[in-house]
Amino acid sequence: MSEFNSNINDEIINSLKLILGNQNVLTDYEDRYCYAYDATAIGEALYLPDAVVLPENKEQICQIVKIANENNIPIVPRASGTNLVGGCIPLKGGIVMHLSKMNRILNIDRNNLICTVQPSVVVGNIQQEVSDLGLFYPPDPASLKVSTIGGSIAQSSGGPRGFKYGTTKDYVLGLEVVLADGTLLKTGGTTVKNVTGYNLTQLFVGSEGTLGIVVEATLKLIPKPEEQQVMLAYFESIDQAAEAITGIISAKITPATLDIMDKNTMVTIENFHHVGLPTDMEAVLVLEVDGFKESVAVQTRQIIDICNQFGAKNIRVSQNQQEADELWFARRSAFGAVARLRPNVLTEDAVVPRDKIPEFITKTREIFDKYNLTVCIMGHAGDGNIHPNVSLDLRNKEEAENFEKAAEELFDTAIELGGSLSGEHGIGMLKSGFMRKALDENSIKYMKEIKKLFDPKNILNPGKIFHE
Amino acid sequence: MNRNFKLLCAALSLRGGAKAPTWQSIRSFWANFKIQTDPHSTSLRSVPQNDNSTISNCSNGFKSLNDYAEDVYKCTKCGLCQSVCPVYKATGLETAVSRGKFTLLNGIINGKLKFNKKIAKNLELCLGCKACYDFCPSGISAEEIITAARHESSKINGIGFIKRFILDNFKSNFRLSLLKIGLKCYIVTLNLFQGLSCFRLLLKPKDGKMLNQVQHDNSSNKFIKYLTLFNSQLKENVKYRKLKSVKPISELNIVYFPGCINNYVNSSVKNAVLIVLEKNGFRVNIPKNFTCCGIAARSSGDFESFSRLAENNLNQISDNVDYIITDCASCGSAWEFYPDFVQGKLKEKAEIIAEKTININKFLAEREIYFPENVEINKKITYHDPCHLKRFQKVFEEPRKILKQIQGIAFKEMKDADVCCGAAGTFCISQSEISKAISSEKAQNIIATGADIVCTSCAGCKIGLSQGLIEKNSTIPVYHPVELLAELYLKDEK
Repeated sequence: MSEFNSNINDEIINSLKLILGNQNVLTDYEDRYCYAYDATAIGEALYLPDAVVLPENKEQICQIVKIANENNIPIVPRASGTNLVGGCIPLKGGIVMHLSKMNRILNIDRNNLICTVQPSVVVGNIQQEVSDLGLFYPPDPASLKVSTIGGSIAQSSGGPRGFKYGTTKDYVLGLEVVLADGTLLKTGGTTVKNVTGYNLTQLFVGSEGTLGIVVEATLKLIPKPEEQQVMLAYFESIDQAAEAITGIISAKITPATLDIMDKNTMVTIENFHHVGLPTDMEAVLVLEVDGFKESVAVQTRQIIDICNQFGAKNIRVSQNQQEADELWFARRSAFGAVARLRPNVLTEDAVVPRDKIPEFITKTREIFDKYNLTVCIMGHAGDGNIHPNVSLDLRNKEEAENFEKAAEELFDTAIELGGSLSGEHGIGMLKSGFMRKALDENSIKYMKEIKKLFDPKNILNPGKIFHE
Repeated sequence: MNRNFKLLCAALSLRGGAKAPTWQSIRSFWANFKIQTDPHSTSLRSVPQNDNSTISNCSNGFKSLNDYAEDVYKCTKCGLCQSVCPVYKATGLETAVSRGKFTLLNGIINGKLKFNKKIAKNLELCLGCKACYDFCPSGISAEEIITAARHESSKINGIGFIKRFILDNFKSNFRLSLLKIGLKCYIVTLNLFQGLSCFRLLLKPKDGKMLNQVQHDNSSNKFIKYLTLFNSQLKENVKYRKLKSVKPISELNIVYFPGCINNYVNSSVKNAVLIVLEKNGFRVNIPKNFTCCGIAARSSGDFESFSRLAENNLNQISDNVDYIITDCASCGSAWEFYPDFVQGKLKEKAEIIAEKTININKFLAEREIYFPENVEINKKITYHDPCHLKRFQKVFEEPRKILKQIQGIAFKEMKDADVCCGAAGTFCISQSEISKAISSEKAQNIIATGADIVCTSCAGCKIGLSQGLIEKNSTIPVYHPVELLAELYLKDEK
């Protein structure tokens, strides 16, 4: 067993087994091989952990982290492993902590509109459970059927509804976090108002597992909107679509979703799913309005008027739930369709001010065209978060290198336009090299100081966020 | 209990010889696949060697892992398969889900990993339920790839001892008959044991109740649970009776493939199919030398056996039949797989016949069949979708349609009706703990409907559902929709 990448040794593995039981500590090469990746396309690179542990409660997590800290062993928390920036990849070996066995909703409090969950509860399951009680947990990352709340908190995930309802950070009231020294920290509480000292809760939201391991979370819920209405509006140019977006927002309408897809995306979806999208249009807006029945009807009428005013060629409005599902299917199948074009997909996540969207989309297309890469552009137009999905084969060295160059130019463009590197995926290992483009020296200095304070030995998800 | 089962298996394998053969000899004996019983006896014989077949070395005709290299590589690792994989839900292991397996297989294709025992074990962790296929953005058929990988793995690592034994039994009608006799003897013996006070003492649960009283109490006694499971599998719900047809006799040339369970373990569903078809004016023909469809051999990676069974079954019929009716979801899929596992002229025939293979539910639902008006079945029914029927053959509305048309039946849909029952061929034996966890979840959903009867259309699912219900101490019986229809007809006749 001399092949360990970290300070781990047989004695430590035995003590892990004592804490967790033999079946919850995986050390076979083949098992570890399946924990060397997440949803990030990293080609042939292999970052093998030395051990995988599957804790069943927070006390076990405290004990494991304590051992890791004492022995300087890196530890990478992981739940569904759907991260897109390499957040769950054990860059320095060590221990991968798979939280899949901590997947229970502990409590839904209808009177206080909160729920308490373990880290590995799937976001979609939370939404379903609270929805059955007439409540609503809005953050809806595209992967919500599989991605977990622990990952959502680590990356502060968003989703199409971010424009109206905000993102994960707006729904976390309190956390229980295991710190690097193995102690348990409780932050925040169960109330919406709470200014008792520093807001440590928000410090952990979006910290990408580098400051502590979230082992329990209390989330804010809101009443479920009475009704929803989905619309697709097709435009002959991106500019027209962008004008319509500005028109809708300046008319003081706040759709729950205001997404945009470009021509390439529509053509790709049609190739694989035949959902009836026009392939001769340059852009489609996917709109969802929600609220009370009457207000939904008013908003729908207004949006149709505005879209027509800005030259929409056609508008499809859902007449019932089934049609709404069909229209959503068109939007949600975008990633899958791109995935079928070529073997690998890389999704970027830059964000720009809303009024810069047309410019950003045009420039994005220019950049990827320049490097001969197939790109399908989709994104959350309402909040300026654009996802170019690049379809390629990473075995082709030239393509892989071209992608690197294109991505860097894309970040430069976003920052030039007043935006930033990531809207909802995070920095992880993929974008850590670009942090200095987006942040000034002082910001990075204080961020690193915070990291040092919480994790002096740099054992928690090392190599993420900051370039080493 | 497992030990008992192994002993039973061992006892059953000693067929006819004066000297107890070693496992090695038994394995090579069956692998060679020669006719061992009297070749003139018709019904109880092993699969004959097919003289007409052009295949000698079957392995050349099968798709290998390398044929799927691009499919394996194009897994984007999005992880969506985790949301639908019953094995992942039960184990929480990345290795259990398709994404993990594709990573391992990609490692093998690239030469970074080798087929070893550990990989063979990980490959076992798949039900082949195809749930992830519908969900996979890249549209990769994990079931097909994992099966092909098992085939290659089995050549290096072999197929597990118990699995091998079971598969070998299903290859031979004679051995299946023995298995049934063995099972019956076993159960009678166990029942006898219950009667003996010394065994009562041994097996008596803490609350002091007698065994037969506690069968469905909160007893965790594995022994009783297995006994109940075996009993439930052997109980015949429908006895055959020739009924007078109510419709004009059809000219359709129909072959009915009853499968090995119906022929050699429990004929209830077969009886029901015959009753229902005859009542509706359809004459059916069951060739004598049909064997097991072989599906369990295919999913275990024993393509060679599957191919031989396919050849045999295909050779029993001509391609000018109008329909091959199957009642079991797995058998139906097997007939659809056959074209990929036979070669030459037989392949063409298999393709024609695959087109004509139809599940009994679909066959009946597509026709104006007889529903008596003066008799009814006053029961609340729920239906479990066998994976092989819903996701492989796309039949799921038809059985519901039939059930809902029966007078008196209140149909209640269960939660996750199309999630695998956990049996999955030999999975329930090789991975019994995971299988039980999945079956229990299923049983929970069945019980939650408040149904009196749960229906399904697969012999394998019957085991999975019974296993789960017994785990949950429920007595809800498992029926094939056709069994209910036959009961209705029998009632009508009285």
